[in-house]
Amino acid sequence: MPGAERPSLVVDDVHVQYVTYGGRRNARLRKHVGAVDVVKAVRGVSFVASHGESIGLIGHNGSGKSTLLRAIAGALPVSQGAIWADGDAALLGVNAALMRDLSGDRNIQLGGLALGLTPAQVAERYDEVVDFAGIGDFVHLPMRTYSSGMSARLRFAISSAARPDILMIDEALATGDADFKQRSQARIDELVEHSATVLLVSHSMSTIRSMCDRVLWLDHGRLVADGPTAEVLEEYSERTGLPTARPTRRPQEVAP
Amino acid sequence: MTPLAAIAAEHGLARVGVRPDLAEYVRQVWRRRHFAVALASSKAYSRNQGSYLGQAWAVLTPILWAAVYLVVFGVVLSTDRGVANFAGFLVIGVFLYHFSASSIQNGSKAITGNRELIGSLSFPRALLPIATVLADLLTLLPALLVLLFLVPLTGEPLQASWLLLAPAVALQWVFGTGLAFLLARAVADVRDLARLVPFVLRVAMYTSGVFFSISHYVDDPTIANVLQHQPIAIYLELGRAALLSGVETSVGTWLWALGWAVAAVLVGFVYFWRGEERYARG
Repeated sequence: MPGAERPSLVVDDVHVQYVTYGGRRNARLRKHVGAVDVVKAVRGVSFVASHGESIGLIGHNGSGKSTLLRAIAGALPVSQGAIWADGDAALLGVNAALMRDLSGDRNIQLGGLALGLTPAQVAERYDEVVDFAGIGDFVHLPMRTYSSGMSARLRFAISSAARPDILMIDEALATGDADFKQRSQARIDELVEHSATVLLVSHSMSTIRSMCDRVLWLDHGRLVADGPTAEVLEEYSERTGLPTARPTRRPQEVAP
Repeated sequence: MTPLAAIAAEHGLARVGVRPDLAEYVRQVWRRRHFAVALASSKAYSRNQGSYLGQAWAVLTPILWAAVYLVVFGVVLSTDRGVANFAGFLVIGVFLYHFSASSIQNGSKAITGNRELIGSLSFPRALLPIATVLADLLTLLPALLVLLFLVPLTGEPLQASWLLLAPAVALQWVFGTGLAFLLARAVADVRDLARLVPFVLRVAMYTSGVFFSISHYVDDPTIANVLQHQPIAIYLELGRAALLSGVETSVGTWLWALGWAVAAVLVGFVYFWRGEERYARG
């Protein structure tokens, strides 16, 4: 089994379901009163990830990728199975825990503390976060004034500054410009080198190709394939008929 | 044990998403205390930030409330309701009642209203009710400052007993945090309970002696006795006794205040902790 040498994350037959309020899929029944439904988002996924591995998660919308990441982050309870992790897991989502009405600097502080940094560590890494996010003066303005790319950059800067043992990125890089993509790729490589594990959800196959050594393919909450990036993407392309981008060079070969 | 569980055990990995025991949970909450404080101050700050006057509203809001109540009850309805310094009595009552009411209201939504935060980060969820009520306390502090300026204007002398306002409010805060633990979990389990909160608050307002003295208005001695030992009435009495020379309190009342606070926070915390694994997205 891949990743069994020095595991950082063990996911054992995990099922995740959650209750939703306000609507039911079987709409003829109890539409107005008792509109509560149970969504089974992940149905029996198992894998082992090791230190220094970067893993991409692919699959159609609603295949359970984000839900699985939330469960690994401990943010959603599993209904069956178990997850074990070595160290802290940080999840960086499109709607990560930042408060739109607050300025960027307050969000840096809040986000850092939420990820388990001490106030001293937050102060120490503050400049690094602002530089990396490249938001300049906007750091003093409320985050609702940010463009989607700016807030994605700030979120990424905060989560990666906490240097978590397991960093999970949920489509957060999609809105960044080319320059930011390059910098975030360098940051991810650096984390992986320091034996972190990176899990990346993306619909951009070129991002997956350039950043991940291994890919998990989820379909309707089940694991369809797990293996080296090129093999899984080829299989994915064959079975779904979707393009998976041409194989690209590894990041270190990309000209600056 | 499954083969994967054996791998996890062999490499000493920690299980994710299981509720730690109570002592470990308390330690985790304590380790993340700075997060609760930062979240509380951010929440309190953002309440006023979306306007030109911004943080000046922290002081202007309580002044305007005090003015409204004084005009309505002091001028329009013109009654002293059997209380020596009715203006002082009323303003202290309204401010302190509002503190407990917002702890209850915001505390009940501490889980359901923070789903984004819960869905993206793992931290002991007890920090959310704690931060919510702390934000209410931070909102109360400027109002208390206003109070300390207003009360002398109603003819009250500056006294050493004013210092007792601090422990009285501290106990009320602890009590509010306990209630927030209870309500946050109850509403997370059964959403519909949130709809009942406004009715509970209205009952609490009329039975806590916010606008009148319980002993003056309630004739039945048993009912009066029950109402006077009701927690919010107890905290209002302590606040008034601290600032107003015409209101007396006793050691017994302080013990009741302490008892309510300790009982609420202990029962609330344990009840909340037992539901820790279930505060999911929904």
